[in-house]
Amino acid sequence: MKPFDVIVIGGGLAGLMAAAVAADNGQRVALLTYGSGSLPLASGAIDFLDAKAPDVAIKNLPAHHPYKKIGLKACDAAAKFFCDVTAKADLPYNGRLSAQIPIVTAVGTLKYSALVPESMDASNLADKKKIFVVEIKGLKDFYAAMIADNLKKIFPDKTFATAKLDLNLLGGRDITCMDAAQIISGNEQILADGLKTLDAGDDDAIIIPPIFGLEGNASRAAIKSQLRAEILETTCLPPSPTGIRLQRAFIKFLQNAGVRIFENSKVVRGVLDGKKVTGVVVENSVREKVFPARKVILATGGFYSGGITMRDFDQPREPIFDLPVFFPTGAENWSNEQLFSDEPQGFSMTGIFTDENLRPIDESGEILFENLHVVGANLGGSDFIFERSAGGVAISSAYKGATS
Amino acid sequence: MSDKTQAIFTGDRCLSCTSCMANCPVMAAIKDYRGPKLVGPAHGRMHFSQEDIEATLEFCSNCKSCDRACPSGVAVSTLNMLQRAEYYKTHPHTQAEDMLAHGEKMGHMVRMMPFGATFANLGMEFGKALNIFSKLGLAGERDMPAYAMTPFKDLYSRIKQTAGGKKIVLFTGCYINDNEPQVGEAFVKVMNANGYEVLIDKGFNCCGSPLVVTGYLDEARQHADNNAARILEWKKKGIPVVTPCTSCSLMLKEEYHELFGEHKFHEAAENVYDAFEFLEILQERGEFNDNVKSSGEKLLYHVPCHLKCQSIGLPAANILEDYLGAKVQTADAGCCGISGNYGFRKDKYDVSMKIGAKLFERVKRKDFDKVISDCGTCRMQIHHGSGIKPCHPIEILAAAYT
Repeated sequence: MKPFDVIVIGGGLAGLMAAAVAADNGQRVALLTYGSGSLPLASGAIDFLDAKAPDVAIKNLPAHHPYKKIGLKACDAAAKFFCDVTAKADLPYNGRLSAQIPIVTAVGTLKYSALVPESMDASNLADKKKIFVVEIKGLKDFYAAMIADNLKKIFPDKTFATAKLDLNLLGGRDITCMDAAQIISGNEQILADGLKTLDAGDDDAIIIPPIFGLEGNASRAAIKSQLRAEILETTCLPPSPTGIRLQRAFIKFLQNAGVRIFENSKVVRGVLDGKKVTGVVVENSVREKVFPARKVILATGGFYSGGITMRDFDQPREPIFDLPVFFPTGAENWSNEQLFSDEPQGFSMTGIFTDENLRPIDESGEILFENLHVVGANLGGSDFIFERSAGGVAISSAYKGATS
Repeated sequence: MSDKTQAIFTGDRCLSCTSCMANCPVMAAIKDYRGPKLVGPAHGRMHFSQEDIEATLEFCSNCKSCDRACPSGVAVSTLNMLQRAEYYKTHPHTQAEDMLAHGEKMGHMVRMMPFGATFANLGMEFGKALNIFSKLGLAGERDMPAYAMTPFKDLYSRIKQTAGGKKIVLFTGCYINDNEPQVGEAFVKVMNANGYEVLIDKGFNCCGSPLVVTGYLDEARQHADNNAARILEWKKKGIPVVTPCTSCSLMLKEEYHELFGEHKFHEAAENVYDAFEFLEILQERGEFNDNVKSSGEKLLYHVPCHLKCQSIGLPAANILEDYLGAKVQTADAGCCGISGNYGFRKDKYDVSMKIGAKLFERVKRKDFDKVISDCGTCRMQIHHGSGIKPCHPIEILAAAYT
């Protein structure tokens, strides 16, 4: 096997983005994945930080925060590149780093993100007269009445109406949003006809579960053109069509760019030559296989994805390159028993520290490998979940790592 | 490798994250199947403690997309197959299932008759014309795979091998032996060119894959025991067992152990190689014979699901690109849908064709010189769905050795 210019380890958002950026720069790229990544479980909305103006908030972060290494310039460039990738797959996204856009959740609250699929952009909801919430007969886990009740608390001056459409989904298994999206794809008219019966006007909005197909924007476009009211998708329980669309947009981009994607490829260690990584070793059921590379991007995720493991308390490990993992010392700082309080979880700060080019460093700040870049959730120094920065750190660190 | 990889010990790792559902081609094609998560890990764990059958278990095609999607290493599809075996302990097999599971036995019977292949092929043509297959529960729309006039195991003795001292054993597999012996011939030519004499072992059985997917687990176990014992004999002599069939290699390397758990299956597996995996190892050692004609052909590569499972990269694509100057483009169109004998069942034909539709569309674009795929049933399905006949990548390489 000839060496790849870049090998990306990990098929989540950070890995897909890193592979896309590297391939777009004309490099020969391999993406090694183990499991399909968590995008099918996600909304597809990209949060940079829980702040009205994420770009301003990023400037005010402490020096050890990953964003400080990545830099605002790379964050902006990443957001632009991300939107280009989705646009190419006919999956338009709205947003920028200087503001946040609301989307409606599956329980009828509003969640604010920097980059959101156009189909979820609820920016104009405040200007609507009447809001229709529509559930689908037989579709699991979507309750129009609950969503309307909760939205009423945010928009008390608006009129709400709920409706239930029968799209003939019953028969066979319980129907998830993914199933409904699959069935609607290519059979949009039944949904369009159902929505037309609401008689929603120019000043109204219709909120539906995310069922506009699993690829691109075609199903939504076919229905939208027949309605006067604005139509919005919510988030949902997994498997999530809006996250699947994003994953497919990236995979399509990678395939068109000639990136080789190797599934079921669990990397167990690197092939090292001093401070250089010359390849990675994949373990299969009986033997090992070396994939040679000139540059490696580590996008294996944090605790949840096995990118960082911990068998003994206070001994977190990065299992592939055995990189030093930084974590808050003292058991008392590890966890916050008040799970839903407004304080972060100490253990979530665990991760790898890097230089400005996202190369791993040790405690003295020395770079451990010259051509290894760490991106995404295995970066240390912030609680991505608490501060709502996982998506933003994923795409911007991937951009930086792939261009460094 | 330890007990961690035996399927029944992996179910408890399931987090119910639904990644398998998002990647299941059968769920995408039909509403009836409840999906790998519920049928495999969730229901599977209950099932081993009490009598309870999940009715939609029959829809799993064992393509293993769920295994590859799983972030936690759950052997989802094998859990399904173990449950299917439980089901058949108390339920009879249909005639179609019996026939589809026992291709090897049918092949033997055909070879016992004078001009057996001719008559069997004629019979299959009549059978199709008279709709007999459909009445038996087979997919009447398909041609049954035609028997080659001479099976590979007979053809083999007539091949004049030119190689020197090194030896490998070809695990022929049923499809190459009975239906496409030219793939076996190509394999011998390539291995000879690389200094290996090819042996065959008539003591091998069918790998057992068709038995596992139709719930004949006890019979599959007998095949596994026999094959593993044979492979271990060859291992003792330092002779590797190599196969160009990706479903056979997956069964020998991984699924025996997943299904049955005994350590001997893992020990045997260490001596088994996919054909191009073996060639790439030669290349890495600097032992690959690169005296080949450059072709510059544009090849569309349908990567079989059972190759994707093996975590060996794409050795055929690498070798054809690096040494023949071929331009290999992966089809990237998902599972072909046939999944061994699944698509040959009358009641699974439509699902199988729906799953393969994207691939057929891709192949019909005809922006290439040839379609290649390492799996015999994938090749049959592509031919059936697109009208274009693919070949095994080893045939391309064999043609490049003069």
